[in-house]
Amino acid sequence: MSETRTILIVEDNALVAKFYKMALERGGGFRCVVTENVAEMLKHVTAGEVDLAILDVSLSDTEWEGRRLDGLELARILKQRAPRKLPILLATAHAMAGDRERMLAASGADGYLEKPIYEADALVATVRGLLDSAAGG
Amino acid sequence: METFIEEMKRYLAFGAEDVRLLRQLGPRMDKYLPEMSERFYSQIPFHPNAFRVFTGGDTQIARLKQTLIYWAQGLFAGRYDEAYADERYQIGYRHVRIGLEQKYVISAMGIVRGFLSECLLLEFEAGDERLKFSRSLNKMLDLDLNLMCESYMHASTQNLRALNEQLERANRELAEASQSKDEFLAQTSHELRTPLNSILGFTKLILDGLATNPAEQRELLQDVFRSAQHLLGIVNDILDIGRIEAGKVSLHVETVNLRELLDSTLPLIAVQAAAKGVELRDETLRATLPRVRADEVRLRQVLLNLLNNAVKFTAEGRVTMRASTADGFVKLEVEDTGIGVPADARERVFQKFVQLDPIQARRQGGSGLGLTISQRLVELMGGEIGLHSDGHEKGTRVWFTLPIAGEPDATPRAPAAKARQ
Repeated sequence: MSETRTILIVEDNALVAKFYKMALERGGGFRCVVTENVAEMLKHVTAGEVDLAILDVSLSDTEWEGRRLDGLELARILKQRAPRKLPILLATAHAMAGDRERMLAASGADGYLEKPIYEADALVATVRGLLDSAAGG
Repeated sequence: METFIEEMKRYLAFGAEDVRLLRQLGPRMDKYLPEMSERFYSQIPFHPNAFRVFTGGDTQIARLKQTLIYWAQGLFAGRYDEAYADERYQIGYRHVRIGLEQKYVISAMGIVRGFLSECLLLEFEAGDERLKFSRSLNKMLDLDLNLMCESYMHASTQNLRALNEQLERANRELAEASQSKDEFLAQTSHELRTPLNSILGFTKLILDGLATNPAEQRELLQDVFRSAQHLLGIVNDILDIGRIEAGKVSLHVETVNLRELLDSTLPLIAVQAAAKGVELRDETLRATLPRVRADEVRLRQVLLNLLNNAVKFTAEGRVTMRASTADGFVKLEVEDTGIGVPADARERVFQKFVQLDPIQARRQGGSGLGLTISQRLVELMGGEIGLHSDGHEKGTRVWFTLPIAGEPDATPRAPAAKARQ
């Protein structure tokens, strides 16, 4: 695994996005693309440039084809458009009982992290785990 | 469809012959009726609910005795029609309402039946004629008893149904309250985790040695500080709304001088507005402001919140403060030339944690509870709050009202002012 993997970060809180980017770049040597714009996400995803996406569930400013999208729907769209298997990690501050199962089922995502997410090592390890199992399957 | 009384008549074989016999019997029974009435009401002291039912004393009982005589005369007139059934139903309903149990009515009717049967023995020799009269009399009394019992059942069923509906409603309300509490908890948890993510994340990055440049460390610490302030704002607002909704906020309502309040509040916002290059215009200076009934601290909180919002969501242009009076209320209005509120969101913005522009709102430390708190406080002070916007980028106008202090004696004040001149 010598080439640099690219992680797409979709997060409506700029400071949280900044943390993910710093943690992944510095802690794991990944390259990060941060955007809330669906057209831009699709450009990177369909070009096969994205190896994994981290999506926030509550997105305030993400619109597509004239309506608001949440991270769950976005996960399905990105998976559909990706030229190869695209692992998706949901990162959300929804942390009530049952949220995890419901969101994984509704999005088809591969992993789920509850905010606050603040251990760079743990985030990097989760991302690597998902990338490895995507490569293996 | 066959009515209940028709059905019972058929079932008891109560027909034209019975009506004829009863009409014949009526005049002969007249003389016994006062005694029947006496005997009927002699049971009253033994009635367990007598003190509740017969509250009118002797006058009421004398009247009831007379009523019973009329009733008995009506029985012999053979008018067993719908109107009669209706009257009996009404009585049954009334009894159920005042809690007179059916068993006591049945036993009272038994007294009437026993007495009238004895009268037949006195009035007629033993034989076929007496038997015929006795049969018709019994059918008639059975019919009447059936009507009474049926009316009791109806009334009780209706009562139960109403009670059930009440219970269901109460149940629904409880479930809704519990659900909105759950939702509030979920939202609160969500809102608290977001700033915590930045606070914990950036400090840990520095501690882990992933950000070693002092300038960058300083920048991250600023992010941490801002997030912590945001978190504090949310915690304070959550406590505030919690206290308000639990009814634990007691307002200190007094007569407030609006002019003084505005003069001491607007400068706090002016600094912020000036820093953004937004003009803050005070049009209340033109009008004479009346005194209002309000909690001064809470009123200032509402004003600051609305003015803060206006400045926060206005990139350029101005924020205008206005006042007007109508119908015993002062209307205070904050208008801005900012991002506006789409039509479908105008009600929603008063709900908890609803932020139309969360990035902007969070950047400025908004908790998403400000308008909810303002709405509750204004309502607690006896006013109303509302929001108007022509749409996206068209600015917003938020207004609220407060009762004018001492409104009833506002008129006599004029001559007093004159006298001073």
